[in-house]
Amino acid sequence: MSTRTASLAVASALATAVTALAAPLATAGGMSMSGSMMMKQREHTMAELHTGKFVRCFGVALAGHNDCYAGPGTTCAGTASRNYQGNAFKLVPTGTCTAITTPYVTIVHGHGSLSKITEAGR
Amino acid sequence: MSPWADLQERFAGALRCPERPPPVGCNGPDGLPDVKRFDVYRNNVLAGLIDALAQSYPVVRRLLGAECFEETARRFVAGHLPRSPVLLEYGQEFAAFLDRFEPLAALAYLPDVARIERAWLEAYHAADAPPLNPGALARIPAERAADVCLTLHPSVRLVRSRCAALTIWRLNVTDGPVTGPEPIALDASAQDALLARPEAEVDVIALAPGAAEFIAALASGRTLGDATECARNAHEPFDLTEHLTALLGGGWITSAHLKRRRTRGP
Amino acid sequence: MPVPHTESRRCRPDAVPPRAGVGLKAAHYGAVLEARPDIGFFEVHAENYMGAGGPPHRYLTAIRKDYPLSLHGVGLSIGSDGPLDGAHLRRVAALVRRYEPGLFSEHLAWSSHGGTFFNDLLPVPYTACTLQRVCEHLDQVQESLGRQILLENPSTYVAFATSTYHEPDFLAEVARRSGCALLLDVNNVHVACANQQWDPHRYLALFPLEHVRQIHLAGFATDVDEHRRPLLIDAHDREIAEEVWALYDHVLARLGAVPTLIEWDQNVPQWAALAAQAERAERALRAAAPSQERRRVALG
Repeated sequence: MSTRTASLAVASALATAVTALAAPLATAGGMSMSGSMMMKQREHTMAELHTGKFVRCFGVALAGHNDCYAGPGTTCAGTASRNYQGNAFKLVPTGTCTAITTPYVTIVHGHGSLSKITEAGR
Repeated sequence: MSPWADLQERFAGALRCPERPPPVGCNGPDGLPDVKRFDVYRNNVLAGLIDALAQSYPVVRRLLGAECFEETARRFVAGHLPRSPVLLEYGQEFAAFLDRFEPLAALAYLPDVARIERAWLEAYHAADAPPLNPGALARIPAERAADVCLTLHPSVRLVRSRCAALTIWRLNVTDGPVTGPEPIALDASAQDALLARPEAEVDVIALAPGAAEFIAALASGRTLGDATECARNAHEPFDLTEHLTALLGGGWITSAHLKRRRTRGP
Repeated sequence: MPVPHTESRRCRPDAVPPRAGVGLKAAHYGAVLEARPDIGFFEVHAENYMGAGGPPHRYLTAIRKDYPLSLHGVGLSIGSDGPLDGAHLRRVAALVRRYEPGLFSEHLAWSSHGGTFFNDLLPVPYTACTLQRVCEHLDQVQESLGRQILLENPSTYVAFATSTYHEPDFLAEVARRSGCALLLDVNNVHVACANQQWDPHRYLALFPLEHVRQIHLAGFATDVDEHRRPLLIDAHDREIAEEVWALYDHVLARLGAVPTLIEWDQNVPQWAALAAQAERAERALRAAAPSQERRRVALG
């Protein structure tokens, strides 16, 4: 494509986009339908937190990172609360990654692949 | 060095190294040393920073399970104490740490999931800025359209992954069961994600091929013409109209200006 | 008022009233905006609002429009020997300008050393040397913020052999020299006195109550030290203990009503449980005589 042809293609794309966005239907919800190719999936994150009526205006209420407290379980190995001074915990994943097999991502119900992953994650 | 400077140095040193004894002169009420009392501070530092990481990386935590996450975080914290009191910035190196973290090397997607979570948090806390009214671009003469430079919203972040990190993130960002689409071949499922918060909510968008190159070029100040070329070099066909519509319609562009044409040299 | 207003001008620069307030947690943003509960004031940790923009500022701006605000810093490291972090002080100053809080408080503690932030309120020995350093740092903070700040008494787990001042005497001297006010954390009094084997009533008898502009109340956890002696942890994760309520009544009887904050930072409960704690403090405040200090509470 020549520089001039390319430049005209850009101009045409820009004009089409601007026109599309000026049409009230296309901009409903602030999102053009024609953006669908780019947005194969447009997800609102942390959907479980989206029950609050203020989320749309204010966003997800995320707890602050700086808290003012002393972590419990500080002194005795015998306490039920957390103590990070003891021996290292084993690094065996027990979360949802055990339901995802590698090298292929397979989503399974239950713990069908648990043993395999525990081995892989060791 | 003043006595307090010296003692503070020794106190800080003992906080960093659990194997060191507490600093001399740091005692129980009877004036005698008491390791467990000093351990309160050691534990507070660790517990607070592990909590801060758990706050920033809830999906990594869900993938690993609480105990495995805490141990991973504990090892990260040991080598990465914060440099700033603003803890929402803490843990920027966590994804890079996971890249090199041998015990979890089998979870190849984990570092990229962490990158998505970091990008999400950065988008969440980024500066607010009003979007550009697309109508402003209508005045640009057609022959200059390729010279337009678009400024992305301050919250825009790109995450490029060679595996299906975005799919895995999406399946784990809610508390529901991990169920999903057809099995995805990890190696054959590179995913690019755009994260941005033009208004209150963080948008997370899976990008079509070429889009990441296009947006990265715009972010680095390249013109629309150059950015389009970058996208087409990466992937043909690339639908410029759809991408411009999405960027402008999504509120991810805050301003536009024309790049000055270079004057010809002698 | 005529327009235009800047964003911060829309906030009323209210004094924090001598009522019960609550530490504002993200989990309660929705409940507060929806129900607009009758709470004397809210307090937030300054460092949680140091992002450039986004939802935290949207929520706080909305809540600040309807409530007085107290800003509580946890990262200035006033007890450090080394110089204050200038960039952090500027962030604090910008936040104070933006939200015009009725009170700004920090801790008699350190948290940063040699460029590392330890994310805990670490203890300071009480000596002539540290007294001077703390006062220099307070001068710098008060000058930067253009206002008097409050300094909070700490919870401590160790004692320094080099200390030459008793904690309440040290705080009295800090307030006298620097002109700062004090935040009396009654839970910290209980925790520190239990851990240091001090008598809390004697501690309070020595405490310079005339400088106190705010009170904090919180819950603590119980543990034991190496010698099986009780060791209380300032956990902020549960209801306020009866012993602490008793000390609070004792303080109010001497001091009159002062703004009182319920702190609950871990295992944050439903709003109703937090509000019930504030209600109990509010009843104690109503029973107390109006404080002579009340009129002297700075406008911000």
